[in-house]
Amino acid sequence: MNPLTALTVILALVAAATALGLVWRARQGRIATVSGVVITPTDVASDVPFGRNATLLQFSTELCARCPGTSRLLAGVASSRPGVAHLDVDLTHRADLANRYRVMQTPTTLILDGDGRVRARIGGVPHRSGIARHLDDLTGSNNVSLAR
Amino acid sequence: MSASPARPRIDPRGPRFVAGITAALLLAVVFLSLTGASVAALLLLTVLAALFAWGAFAGAGRHPFGLLFKRYVRPRLAAPAELEDPAPPTFAQGVGLVVSLIGVILGLVGLSGGLAAAAAAAFVAAFLNAAFDYCLGCQLYLLLVRAGVLGRSGRVGGAA
Repeated sequence: MNPLTALTVILALVAAATALGLVWRARQGRIATVSGVVITPTDVASDVPFGRNATLLQFSTELCARCPGTSRLLAGVASSRPGVAHLDVDLTHRADLANRYRVMQTPTTLILDGDGRVRARIGGVPHRSGIARHLDDLTGSNNVSLAR
Repeated sequence: MSASPARPRIDPRGPRFVAGITAALLLAVVFLSLTGASVAALLLLTVLAALFAWGAFAGAGRHPFGLLFKRYVRPRLAAPAELEDPAPPTFAQGVGLVVSLIGVILGLVGLSGGLAAAAAAAFVAAFLNAAFDYCLGCQLYLLLVRAGVLGRSGRVGGAA
């Protein structure tokens, strides 16, 4: 291959990787509204009870750089709202849970309603405002204390 | 490779700096391979594999390019918002080691196209890490756990 053609291939590779990165970034933290199964604390081996109004169920692993920050963000959201709980489940040794809930990346967050039914799914680092909006819809409240 | 809690927490910009230099060098490997400079491509990829091995076994905080970052770049930057566990970028170094070793082996048996493909794959991962803060451990690690390759035993699995 002559150098000019090789350079074109190189540039195409960089362009493709950039496109991939933009798509990946746009999809991060997107909230997908779903109507899924009912999950109980026992299902995810949690001794912490779920929230009365809603639960932010986060899945993490030990090798996830974004999980600790997400955990802090969700814990902050949960503690600012009555009846909302946050749970961080480590999947490192629980491949069965990852398979059952079809978790493809960490962090993945499921928003459960007061009955434990999955109402939304977020892959990647969530956005505080999106979570707040969804919790407002779910609990029928408009919590003005949270910046939107 | 294991998530040893004893390893000091690191500036998260260090691994991205390392990934940036690594991505540029991997791109050079692809270029050399495409232009028929097979020996040069093989040599450079072997050096990169050795650097990946260093990062994977000594920890992402001790990568030679990371030391460059610590010495010359970090003093010019503001303090990071927070420090991070070195385990995720160390895992990424392990993945880089596996992919680049595959490239080296393909190059050694004369498949220069295979070497270029492996270097291109490693480039994409390193580039996404450097430019978009993509975290390989967030996705690939979980998929390996799901496939039953890692995470079965009491501790995090060995070399990836």
